[in-house]
Order: sequence, then structure tokens, then C-alpha cells
Amino acid sequence: MDYSRPELADRLAAEYVLGTLRGPARRRFDTLLPAHPTLRAAVLDWQRRVDALSVSVPEVTPSPQVWPRIRARVMGATVQPVVRWWQRLVLWQAAAGMAAVAALSLAIVLQMPTPQPPPIVVVLAAQPDAAQGGIQPVSFVAGVAPDGRSLVVKPLDAQQARFVNRALELWAVPPKGAPRSLGLIAAEGSTTVQRALALKDTAAFAVSVEPPGGSPTGAPTGPIISVGALQL
Amino acid sequence: MTGSDPSARQQHLAALLSRVALGDTAAFEALYRSTSAHLLGLILRIQPDRALAEDVLQEVYVNIWRAAQSFNPALSQASTWLNSVARNRAIDSLRRRQADVATVSHVTHGDDDEETDMLSAMPSNDPGPLDLLEQASSAMALQGCMDNLSRDQRQSIALAYYQGLSHNEVADQLRQPLGTVKSWVRRGLQSLKNCLERASLALS
Repeated sequence: MDYSRPELADRLAAEYVLGTLRGPARRRFDTLLPAHPTLRAAVLDWQRRVDALSVSVPEVTPSPQVWPRIRARVMGATVQPVVRWWQRLVLWQAAAGMAAVAALSLAIVLQMPTPQPPPIVVVLAAQPDAAQGGIQPVSFVAGVAPDGRSLVVKPLDAQQARFVNRALELWAVPPKGAPRSLGLIAAEGSTTVQRALALKDTAAFAVSVEPPGGSPTGAPTGPIISVGALQL
Repeated sequence: MTGSDPSARQQHLAALLSRVALGDTAAFEALYRSTSAHLLGLILRIQPDRALAEDVLQEVYVNIWRAAQSFNPALSQASTWLNSVARNRAIDSLRRRQADVATVSHVTHGDDDEETDMLSAMPSNDPGPLDLLEQASSAMALQGCMDNLSRDQRQSIALAYYQGLSHNEVADQLRQPLGTVKSWVRRGLQSLKNCLERASLALS
């Protein structure tokens, strides 16, 4: 069959999405999908159309044992926390002047009819101490929307940022108390973190190296590779 | 996430999925808490055995964890993507099911014991496929297009979508020739598509 024919692709995609395409025909369709853009587009269109039917299906709460089974499947062994590194935050703040730790407010001087509040840019300097653990320190730059609701983080030197079987986790560090996780970020390319009030009660941002899946404890467990103080 | 604004919910789910794609376990758990009851509801319509349905649910989330990178918010809504993963897995779990499987909506006046057995496999007070289609027809995304379908077309589509029946099973259920049922499904879907396309043209 010529699956690139639009009418045939459309009819098969409709039956696939509705669920009436079964058996060997369904399996064949599944294997063809990755290589056939026409089929994929048709499937997406039908999913969008047919999905409206799902709104009336009553919800059924899964048994409590389902989530632990899923968690065990996707996150292998957990790692115990070792260091409470954020207790040394005061030292970082003192060292902020000597390192390339800088917080800059960039005013947008474009002539806009309505002046926008400027985004806040924070440079998270690579921490040379991390190199002792055989980990390549990396600098990041973070742009925070003025309302603190979203944040874009990007490594400054992407080609050296390779972390095999490790995740990078971004933390908002308050002046006192434990850091809050802002989620995992990519070692290469930029990551947008949608998190309400990333700036609220935040003195610095830091990036730690964590096991895959992120810190198992909710507090940073691995070495801090990058830190930047926030000066509003 | 309990917000009632649909587009805010979609954004929330898409943001969670993008973090799941990076391997963020906290985001993954939040996604599970926010969507698992709906996905299990969808799976149970197709796979009424509760234990098997929960096995499917487990597979669905493992699949979401691995495939989250392939979700593209420019191409589909987050909930549509999640629902599609769940329905696909549920249908795949039926591969070995007998073609002559009975369903609750098939109320015959024959063997009472058989009816009781079938009911015990389904959640109690389970609405029938046509009831669900009726309720969904008022959904904004359908633009009233279900009304254009004949009763036979609606019934065939409802049995396929809400009960996970194949063409053969729908034909058995409705006691109609296979070819007739296939054509009801095909024409029903085509009519739905044409109507939705007209509606979106009218809006633009």
C-alpha cells in the first residue's frame, strides 16, 4: 500500500486513533509511523479531533501501590545525601567579588511605547572546587523574568558540559534555610523553568550535580558546580 | 493542579512534561498525581479488568517517562498526547482478547449469570458509551458536530471509542454486517472531520 497517499493515510489514521484498526494492521501502522510524516500528521490531526470524546470519561483513582511500582521502574537506585553544602552560602557571598559572579540588571533601552521592567540576568560562576571530584565546572547564565515567574538557564560553555548518567539541578538559595529545587536543567542548550516566584526570598542560584532523576532527598546531594548571587 | 482554566492546565502539563523530558522525578510525580485518575478512567473503558488496567497504567507512565522528549507542544496539547499514549497501550493490551467479548451495554434478555459476571468486571454505575458520547458532544472542541451524525454512526463510534471495540465486535454488538458497520464508522468520522474543519474555517 502507498501510505503517502493522503486519503489512505487519513482513513488509516482515523481508524488507528479511534481504535478500530487492530491486529497485524495496527502493528504495521505502528512500525510505519516513525518514517512517514504524512501518517504522523494525519494521526495528530485525528487525535486532536477525537480527543474531545475523552472529557466525559469518569476518573478512577489508581490503587496506592501503582505509583511506587512506576517509581521503582524509572528511577533505579537512590543515593543518600552526603553534604549540606548550602550552609556555606555565606562564604560564597563573601567570595562573590573575586569570582566572576555578577548579577546585572539589564535595562532594555529600546524605545518602546510602554516601558517593560527589565529582565534580571545572573551569571552562575563555575566553582573550581568541583573539579577536585573529577567534575568539569561549568558557568551558567540565568535570565529571570521580572515577575520571577519564569527563568531561562543556559550553560556558557556548552561543548564541555557533558554529564553522563548525572542530572543537573537548579536551586534557589534563600538567605536563611534550605534551598528550594527549581527542577532539573539541561547541560547543553537552554532550559526554561516555569516556576512561580523564583525570585521570592532568593539570595542566589546554584547548580548541583545529582543522580539521574534529580536529588532523591529534595535537598542538594552532589557537588555544586556553579553559583551566582542575586542582587536586586 | 485543580485549576479550571483549560489552557492554564495545558500549559501546566506541558511544563511538567518538558521537565520530565530532562529526567526530573519531582515533575514526573506531579504529572502522575495530576493525570493518573483520568488516564486510568480511559484505560478501564477499554480494558475493564482492574488489575490489568493498572498494569497498563504502569506501562503508560514508564512510556511517558521515556518518550516525554518526543512531546512537542507546537503539535499537540499535552492532555491529548497523554490520552493517546494511554488509549494506545490499552488497545495493545487487548491483542489476545476474544473477538466475541461481551460488554455491559449489551443488555440481552438471555443468560442472567453471564450479565452478572460482566457487570462485576466493570466499575459500578458505569455510564454506557452512548451516555458518554452524549455528554462529550457538548464539549466546546466538538462544535456541535456530533449532531450531524446519524444514530448508527454515533453508536458505532461510541462503542469503538468508549468500549474499545473493533469493527467486528461493533458488528456483533449491533447485529449488523461487518461492511455496514465499517462504513458507519468511516462516514461518521468523515462527517465529524468535515464539520470540524468548517467550524474552524468559520472561526478564522
